[in-house]
Amino acid sequence: MSAANPANPMVLVVEDEKQIRRFVRTSLEEEGCRVFEAETSAQGLLEAGSRKPDLVMLDLGLPDGNGVDFIRDLRGWSDVPILVLSARSNEKDKIQALDAGADDYLTKPFGVGELQARARALLRRQSRGEEASPLFAFGEVTVDLSRRLVARNGEPVHLTPIEYRLLCVLLANTGKVLTQRHLLREVWGPSSVESYHYLRVYVGHLRQKLEIDPTQPRHIQTETGVGYRFQP
Amino acid sequence: MTTTSKHLSVPHPDLRDWQRHALTILACAVTTLITTPLIGLLDLANIVMLFLLTVLLVSVTLGLKPALLAAFLSVGLFDFFFVPPRFTFVVNDGQYLVTFAVMLVVAIITGRLAGGLRRQADDSAAEERHARALSEMARELSGALTLEQVMEITRSFLHRLAHARGDILLYDKGGALLPNTATGSPTLTIEPRLATIAYEQGKPVECSLLVDSGYAALYLPLKAPMRVRGVIAVAPEENTPEALHAQRARLETMASLVAIAVERIHYVDVAQRTQVQMVSERLRSSILSAVSHDLRTPLTALVGLADSLVVSKPPLGDAARESAEAIREQAERLSGLVGNLLDMARLHAGDVTLHKEWQPVEEVIGSSIKLLGRALAEHPVRVTLADNLPLVEFDSVLIERVFCNLLENAAKYSPPGSAIEIGVITRSDLMEITVSDRGPGFLRVGDAALFDMFVRGETESAKPGVGLGLAICRAIIEAHDGSIAAANRPQGGASVSFTLPLGEPPVIEEEPLPGGEGDAS
Repeated sequence: MSAANPANPMVLVVEDEKQIRRFVRTSLEEEGCRVFEAETSAQGLLEAGSRKPDLVMLDLGLPDGNGVDFIRDLRGWSDVPILVLSARSNEKDKIQALDAGADDYLTKPFGVGELQARARALLRRQSRGEEASPLFAFGEVTVDLSRRLVARNGEPVHLTPIEYRLLCVLLANTGKVLTQRHLLREVWGPSSVESYHYLRVYVGHLRQKLEIDPTQPRHIQTETGVGYRFQP
Repeated sequence: MTTTSKHLSVPHPDLRDWQRHALTILACAVTTLITTPLIGLLDLANIVMLFLLTVLLVSVTLGLKPALLAAFLSVGLFDFFFVPPRFTFVVNDGQYLVTFAVMLVVAIITGRLAGGLRRQADDSAAEERHARALSEMARELSGALTLEQVMEITRSFLHRLAHARGDILLYDKGGALLPNTATGSPTLTIEPRLATIAYEQGKPVECSLLVDSGYAALYLPLKAPMRVRGVIAVAPEENTPEALHAQRARLETMASLVAIAVERIHYVDVAQRTQVQMVSERLRSSILSAVSHDLRTPLTALVGLADSLVVSKPPLGDAARESAEAIREQAERLSGLVGNLLDMARLHAGDVTLHKEWQPVEEVIGSSIKLLGRALAEHPVRVTLADNLPLVEFDSVLIERVFCNLLENAAKYSPPGSAIEIGVITRSDLMEITVSDRGPGFLRVGDAALFDMFVRGETESAKPGVGLGLAICRAIIEAHDGSIAAANRPQGGASVSFTLPLGEPPVIEEEPLPGGEGDAS
């Protein structure tokens, strides 16, 4: 996206609370990022336009308006990853932000480690860019998308067409939170965006076939009330 | 049209009888005066015609009795003044008898006809008056904003239209009489059993025997489009049961007008109440989210800043790092408490909107375990699921709270390294989920107060917490129509079980058999 030095990615933090900005800045600077701050969404949009950051961190509760509008505006002209900072029990806001184009969210309060890990994951995805590989490996499972092969401990795993499509969508968005609505649209088509139970049942099937402990999944993670996230 | 017929038949409805007769006499006298000078010019036959005309006019305008009078007078006057020998009542020619007879017959027939016409016109005028009054009633009812107004309008129109007194009785959805509706007029006594019969059967009930005793004698159901809303009890103003009977059709029309008005007011009420509820709910949730934002923002800064001290470079000294860690932990705990308090405030407000969806319960178990993460580090969690568990309908975020609270409690109260067990079984129409630990168990088992706010299992405990966890669990489970109970395990340890109703899960259509395409084998 930007021509920035991949070693020193540029992060824009849009957050109205000074003390939160402060520790976010120090945490990110420790990771080698250059950090710019904005207090309002209007200022944030200006900064995003002029600085062309590699990552945007956005507080959903900005004083001058809706964070979701900010995301829509930004998405109008930029693909920069957006990490949303939001309070717990605001699932609706999170879903709206994700559907508007945000990539991930962090629930307040969060620790430095969590913040750094999320930022790293998003920056890595950003820098990897287009060089996608058809080969994936996680846990005991290997997937070769080019040959439609899924294997667990070397043994082939049989997936139904829908299970396979679901896995493909999850793999293609590694690390990203996918809302239920988004997954339903991608896998079942636009007419079934309300059939959440189908999604849940098929995610259950995938876990049965691919996870070591399906009741405590490590790779196909539930973001309760929001959706799912694939974590290699 | 109406005015013409009125003009024809009831030209002088106010005239007394003697005035009509005086007019008749006058008319005949005038006819005589006019015709006398014409005696040489006109045939007697034509003069008779003029008298006949007079009789006709009198009978049309003044009625039957004046017509007969006019007939006799005309015959007399004609005989006296015109028929030779003049100025006597003697009739020479027998053929004049025919003239007399014709005159009488004409008078009688036209009088009768005119009378009938007049009656018809009277009736239709009365009908028109009533129709106008009914439409006026409908207009006034449509402007009524309260039941009291409806009651008042109904009473006044019952008086005007049917000379009756009445009262409205309203019933609620379950068929119970609503208070304050039947106490309107002290003069009318109502027989409640008859009213109930009319209400339940949706048919008018009439009991003429009651009229004399001052009871309402006619009970008409208020049939509105949605349901029967109540009963209107009517009694005649004078003790004449026949009057009521004659007015029956009109009273039923009035009842249907009242029913529509009552139903309209009911729905206006419902709409208003919903509006108020929505506004107050919006207000409450905006206050809660403002409070939640204001409390969480400093906590987020506190947790983050303390954490950045812990990992700061160059590293802090051991003592300072431990302090920073302690600050972070305490801030996290405080944040958890604030979360619980806010949850409780939301749930306690009574109307939390549940985002219920059909889902497998194991998913939310897994996400709770992951969410607790570090808090469960010292306790392996064993999940035992019955085979073929059906989907259950619940709000995943709230049920996740329940699991988190129960797991957190279990971890807090059981020795490090001991396992926490989660078991899920189905029982008839319930799913029962049990979370058990190997701690000391509850001190007071079976005590419902355990689930009250700010009640803790151990009274003097070094364990942190204010006793909101179980109260929140109960509030959430009860919102899901389930129940929650605590017990001690025979082999030691506490267990908390809660149930969720199974209901009828939606059918998941089987996927067509994998046939090459997408079959990733």
